[in-house]
Amino acid sequence: MSACKDKDPRINGIKTTIRVVPDFPKPGIMFQDITPLFLQPKAFKDSIDIFIERYQGKNISVVAGIEARGFIFGPSIALAIGAKFVPLRKPKKLPGEVISEEYILEYGRDCLEMHVGAVEPGERALVVDDLIATGGTLCAAMNLLERVGAEVVECACVIELPDLKGRERLNGKPLYVLVEAY
Amino acid sequence: MMQAISLLNILKPSSRFAASLQRRLCPSIAGATAPVSVHLLRNLSQSYRVSVPPPWCCVQHQEMASDDGQDPRISRISSVIRVIPDFPKPGIMFQDITTLLLDTKAFRDTIDLFVERYKDKNISVVAGIEARGFIFGPPIALAIGAKFVPMRKPHKLPGEVISEEYALEYGTDVMEMHVGAVEAGERALVVDDLIATGGTLCAAIRLLERVGVHVVECACVIELPELQGRKRLGDKPLFVLVSST
Repeated sequence: MSACKDKDPRINGIKTTIRVVPDFPKPGIMFQDITPLFLQPKAFKDSIDIFIERYQGKNISVVAGIEARGFIFGPSIALAIGAKFVPLRKPKKLPGEVISEEYILEYGRDCLEMHVGAVEPGERALVVDDLIATGGTLCAAMNLLERVGAEVVECACVIELPDLKGRERLNGKPLYVLVEAY
Repeated sequence: MMQAISLLNILKPSSRFAASLQRRLCPSIAGATAPVSVHLLRNLSQSYRVSVPPPWCCVQHQEMASDDGQDPRISRISSVIRVIPDFPKPGIMFQDITTLLLDTKAFRDTIDLFVERYKDKNISVVAGIEARGFIFGPPIALAIGAKFVPMRKPHKLPGEVISEEYALEYGTDVMEMHVGAVEAGERALVVDDLIATGGTLCAAIRLLERVGVHVVECACVIELPELQGRKRLGDKPLFVLVSST
């Protein structure tokens, strides 16, 4: 389910800031670069506001952001809706006790970690990242939260690459995005 | 302290930490239904009276003093920063801000303190250092109407970048910024969670100055004064909320 692209006048201003960089990080990949969005204060604020409007008043107590671009969006949403911000990180970045979730990449595996004790059973959580591609990273994030008994209410991204079918990989969890890129 | 340490060694690690963290951060739920991990702790240690001080009690935090007394918000911010001994390697007392992010009031106050300081200073750029600078920088940028510019490790930013090499304790590292993100003459803030030796902040300042930007100030939540980062910044002002020895 995407934002009402036709109706919300802010979406176009956000969409036009996203820059496509060919052959990054390797040949054949058209990389969706979101950093120019942060250079437009109004468009950046609009993107955060759209998420805040959607999630305030929904009793969400946790916003989990995926390293590193999820850190750019997640905290502002968390602050506005009165939720904790929980960083989900690559291995060995978080100090102290962590739980880990391994996930599959195109070639090989990677791992996402969360602090033990950051989230309590029964909490309602949002997972935030800049983009959903295959959905592997978001799945790992959801698994971490569900393993400690939290309820993942929705995944929120600025960009979706629908051709990579990440939405289907989310096992029925709702996904909310602002922009689809083909 | 020694007795506390022996208790720490006996108790199962994940439940020990989780219980101490929740006791520390959730005073409002004391006496209410206890979270699962606290039950685990009780089951493991029926014969012990568990009153292990949280790890961050090992280090004294000195809040920022001012002539007429510190801002009342500082004390709470300081109290929710957690110290993890021997991370990432033995002998280092790591200042962990992730516990600050779990305290909605303290996190809000942290951002407010920076925003109040910078909102009328005509700052058009907030540069945040990967990755924890990405947590504090954007909320400040959004509140003061500035751009946010991520300063990243090598090969993370797509497209054209400029790079600055800087010294580590052993070896060097590289920081990158997008070409064209900032313009000559802009006024910038550099944000990170913590200043230690100041090497990373210096690299960020150099990147911005190379393209003609005026770095107005560096802003961090925590300073480790013994590592003399402030001195390394030379004439660049540094503003911190908590000074930790």
